[in-house]
Amino acid sequence: MTPGPRLTLQVQLVLAALLSEPARDYYGLQLCELTSLPSGTIYPFMARLEQLGWVESSWEDPRRHVPEGRPRRRYYRLTGEGAGQAREALARVRRPGRRPRYGLVTWPGIAEVTR
Amino acid sequence: MSWRSSPEAGNSPDGDLLVGLLAVVGGTRPDADVGLIGRAYDFAARAHAGQSRKTGDPYISHPVAVAAILVQAGADDQTLCAGLLHDTPQGGSYSLAALRGEFGADVTRLVTGVAALDDGFGTGQPGSRADGPATEPTPDLRVSMIKLADRLHNLRTAGPLPPATQLSKSRETLEVLVPLAASLGLDAIRTELAELAARMISGHAASRASPSGRLLAAAAALLPRTARSRWRDEWAGELAALPTRRGRAVFTARTLAGIPRLRVTLRRPPRADGTRR
Repeated sequence: MTPGPRLTLQVQLVLAALLSEPARDYYGLQLCELTSLPSGTIYPFMARLEQLGWVESSWEDPRRHVPEGRPRRRYYRLTGEGAGQAREALARVRRPGRRPRYGLVTWPGIAEVTR
Repeated sequence: MSWRSSPEAGNSPDGDLLVGLLAVVGGTRPDADVGLIGRAYDFAARAHAGQSRKTGDPYISHPVAVAAILVQAGADDQTLCAGLLHDTPQGGSYSLAALRGEFGADVTRLVTGVAALDDGFGTGQPGSRADGPATEPTPDLRVSMIKLADRLHNLRTAGPLPPATQLSKSRETLEVLVPLAASLGLDAIRTELAELAARMISGHAASRASPSGRLLAAAAALLPRTARSRWRDEWAGELAALPTRRGRAVFTARTLAGIPRLRVTLRRPPRADGTRR
């Protein structure tokens, strides 16, 4: 088992957001909106998750941003390995018998993960 | 290999360029006609004597780089030579007749084909031709390869060009040359062209950015050197999508607050497999 990031509540929020649609690409600001975390928190997390191989990032396809006349965005997506590791990690901190924290468990991504 | 002991190679101050090219050729295509390549180099070096590029390099460095790209893309000897010679018609002092006399009709046709291709796209008005692009003849494969290698090296060295030129070349690259490279299956060239052009367009947008953008771009200097341009571009991309000045200011303040932590994260060595530091 590869050691993962420290599973602070904030990291759990980010992982849950990514897992809500594991095959989707997210840019940083989308993750800020989904988690209500500031960009100054999200970017270091994403850099760490990328180092760990849980997440990969890539530039937006020029065919999308060039016609719109704006600079390219960076997109993040869970890797196959990362999605599995993130599910396991979230399940571990939310194992049965441990009282779920109100507010987190009602979060759509978590409900899916713990099911 | 015989070219290593070739007396001409070390003679001129730019002879190193030929040596470098022949090293690439020798490593990739040991069967190549190095005598022919050497003659094409000499011809081009004479045609471009005294000329220099915007980068300050002697002009001959460009056709040599183009030829090196062509070798790596698997081009044949004639294409490689035409790559070395592709700008000689603009050099002025050497006529096409001289080119034909020295290298034959095939190489000359490739050289003139590249020049014709330059006139054929980018500058033309889309509406000026009634038939539209559908009836444009498909350019010769080898001519296209030279054009792609030419553009690739021009983009790699586009730094000194005015921003407006960089922008228009980048757009043309994405619209015309990247699809062309894809259709020819030249994946390495396609990938690098797309990356260079997209980076140039994004950098252009960043340089016109708001005060917020300039602040973030400056703060990216606190990150490890290899990571700077990526994060600068990433933040420029996010900022450009925020509609209000207040939104941009908030994003900037929050992102700045995270830079010390990002810096620490990026300085951690990437994980060694399965082990925590």
